[in-house]
Amino acid sequence: MSNANPLLAILSGLWVSTRHFLRNLSRFARGRQDFAIHFPEQRLVQPPALRGMPVLVQMDNGKERCVACGLCEWACPTTCITIYPAETTDEVERYPQIFDIDMARCMFCGLCEEACPEEAIVMSRQIEIASYSRRGSLWHKQDLLVPVNQLKTRTDYLRRNYDR
Amino acid sequence: MSDPEQKNPAAPTNGSNARAMEELHTPPMRLQFGPSHPATHGTVKITLDLEGEQVVWSEVEVGYLHRGFEKECETGYYYQNIPYTDRLNYSSPILNNVGYCMAVEKLFGIVTPPRCDYLRVIGGELSRLADHMLCIGASAMELAAFTPMLYLIEGRELMLDLVDALCGARVTTNFVRIGGVSADMPEGFREFAIERIDKALTLVEDANKLLTNNPVFRRRMEGTGYLSPKDLVAWGVTGPMLRAGGVPYDIRRVHPYLVYGDLDFEVPVGEHSDNFDRYLVRMAEIPQSRSMIVQCFDKLPGGPVNADDPRVRWPAKGRVFNRMEELIDQFKLVTEGGMAPVGEVYHAVEAANGELGFYIVSDGTGKPWKCRCRAPSFSNMSPLSKMITGGQLADVVPTFGMINMIGGECDR
Amino acid sequence: MTADNNGEKPAAPALPPLLRKVIDRLGAIVLEHKSAQGDDRINVARENILEAARMLRDDPELAFDLLLDVTAIDYLGQPDDFETNLQVWDQNRASMRRQPQRRHELVLPPRGPNPRFAVVYHLTSTAHLHVLRVKCRVPEDDPTIPSVTSLWPGANWLERETYDMYGIRFEGHPDLRRIYLYEEFVGHPLRKDYAKHGEQPIQEYVGPGAKEPRRPH
Ligand code: SF4
Ligand code: SF4
Repeated sequence: MSNANPLLAILSGLWVSTRHFLRNLSRFARGRQDFAIHFPEQRLVQPPALRGMPVLVQMDNGKERCVACGLCEWACPTTCITIYPAETTDEVERYPQIFDIDMARCMFCGLCEEACPEEAIVMSRQIEIASYSRRGSLWHKQDLLVPVNQLKTRTDYLRRNYDR
Repeated sequence: MSDPEQKNPAAPTNGSNARAMEELHTPPMRLQFGPSHPATHGTVKITLDLEGEQVVWSEVEVGYLHRGFEKECETGYYYQNIPYTDRLNYSSPILNNVGYCMAVEKLFGIVTPPRCDYLRVIGGELSRLADHMLCIGASAMELAAFTPMLYLIEGRELMLDLVDALCGARVTTNFVRIGGVSADMPEGFREFAIERIDKALTLVEDANKLLTNNPVFRRRMEGTGYLSPKDLVAWGVTGPMLRAGGVPYDIRRVHPYLVYGDLDFEVPVGEHSDNFDRYLVRMAEIPQSRSMIVQCFDKLPGGPVNADDPRVRWPAKGRVFNRMEELIDQFKLVTEGGMAPVGEVYHAVEAANGELGFYIVSDGTGKPWKCRCRAPSFSNMSPLSKMITGGQLADVVPTFGMINMIGGECDR
Repeated sequence: MTADNNGEKPAAPALPPLLRKVIDRLGAIVLEHKSAQGDDRINVARENILEAARMLRDDPELAFDLLLDVTAIDYLGQPDDFETNLQVWDQNRASMRRQPQRRHELVLPPRGPNPRFAVVYHLTSTAHLHVLRVKCRVPEDDPTIPSVTSLWPGANWLERETYDMYGIRFEGHPDLRRIYLYEEFVGHPLRKDYAKHGEQPIQEYVGPGAKEPRRPH
């Protein structure tokens, strides 16, 4: 095989690329649209495992589930989470007064989510976090809160692995 | 072009090259190749001295992507360094995860459950497929064969889709944990994976038809970048490059780790130790990886994917939420990182480019005292200067491409 | 792993076959040996490293022809019996617990009397497939060791990297320069007394065109 006629080899190579061209052409004629994803209008279908940006879970009463235990802060390899805890008279007694994530440093590794003992910080499906300034990539607690029912894909995915 | 000596009638045309050199001698031309040359897919600077087209002296400089991986590892807990290992060889990140975690497990003496081992092999072989496809595609593109690049990149995308479904990220996988993996594979992954891999393999087959018998490609690959098997070993070269020289040194075979001992696979070896054999060895490893993945799916046992080892593996989430002991354990493990025994271990895995070893020295705390990565690209790059000196300028590109130097791993 | 405590003087039958072979060949060159966590390790004095390396490479039964890795360890502040002394382990853990999480400043541990560095070689054989670790202690005031580039040319870059990171000078190395960092870099970053957030003096550009006035952006 390796000593085949060079001319033949070139012709068979040409045939390969011609076949690809014809196949794509016929698909295009039949209206196949998925040659490219036109980004802002179309989105890729992401698998349920997708790790997007970390967000805080907002419970139905509008408050965060986080109890400011600080485990995510410890676990974060890039130390991009800042938490200032405070006390409240609610049932859980503690809440984060300040909860900032520096998205410029965050690498979407998911260790904060894995460390959290309350399922209060989860990786959302949000991956578009570009901003015009460095200050814009500092996300505060109010920006990070996402209602719990919008995070269903991720929490379902996590719960699948609960008992492992 | 307007060189007056070219028109000198006394200059011999060919046949007496030495005399021509004597008569037309000019000092060698110094050429800086890189650091950001389109053909150096990884920032590396090669300084070449050229006599005409011939390389008479060369020097390779690496280090443009040095990020202090080892220093960074010394200040992080064992589990915090796993995401950093993704960034070593960014074209096959799961293999790096596996290498690091297995070294730490060896230090702790953890035995991982079989399902976890199989999942690691599946993830690792997917990464290897992606890495080989990228390597072949990029090298072909550097030799101006652009079409195979398109096919192989599409194949790599299919592999990355699988990695994405497995662990939630395409490149920054962070898949393997010390004593387990981050998540079990999703439902229906087997069918999805085999379909995707077969689709990618047809693309590889197309690229194979375009490249393997192509006379231009063969002329540029065959016989270039030669290094004798003895030299390869002496220079510390491992991986497909060493196997292309006929030395069947594959860690998966010689020191079977995970479940490689149970799998049925071949170690392709070359004989000429040139770039073309390196290409052929990589091409031959692609179907092997596919067969390994299929075997793993067939043999995949049930059961947990994480070791039940409270010293280092974080407790299962379901129990952390409901039970006090596990909650305390979680707090201890996150804030102290799992206290390792004192000692030092070296563990090597077969990464896509060769032997990837991690040498970890522990002083008994949750952070490594030293975490050394024995990067295959680094050792494979070191004889580059020897391989290209004396050859043609045009041979630098295929030789460099077949080393598959990955900046993140070489410069760490 | 539980046998670490009595690892200092292993009983003869416990010796793994590779270590036995190595000790038979090298004799008194081997200062110390240990087999733990499945790895075999010997210590040799740095004056003997070339001799030991040549014997390890050329002996047909050992045939360590593939030099996997050369690196160094900085044992700053760790006592000699670092690996066997459980008290040290406790102290280390306690000091790690005391450290604040985000420690950017440098706390220098006290220096002990023992040699500060160790140069570590990992060798393997493509014929016999065994792996051996060779360690040489190197003191801080004279961080030199003979180079093994003459035996394994692949040691060239590995030794350059070790020099770059730890400042250990390899005598007889053909071209001992920094490999990752620039020539003007002050200090050696993997030494324990180099702060992770250490700053470097700004280098003036001296190349061609340095004198020309800067173009406005
Ligand atoms: S995803 Fe990783 S880097 Fe980002 S905040 Fe969580 S732990 Fe930190
Ligand atoms: S780990 Fe969870 S509960 Fe604790 S501070 Fe972080 S988000 Fe809040």
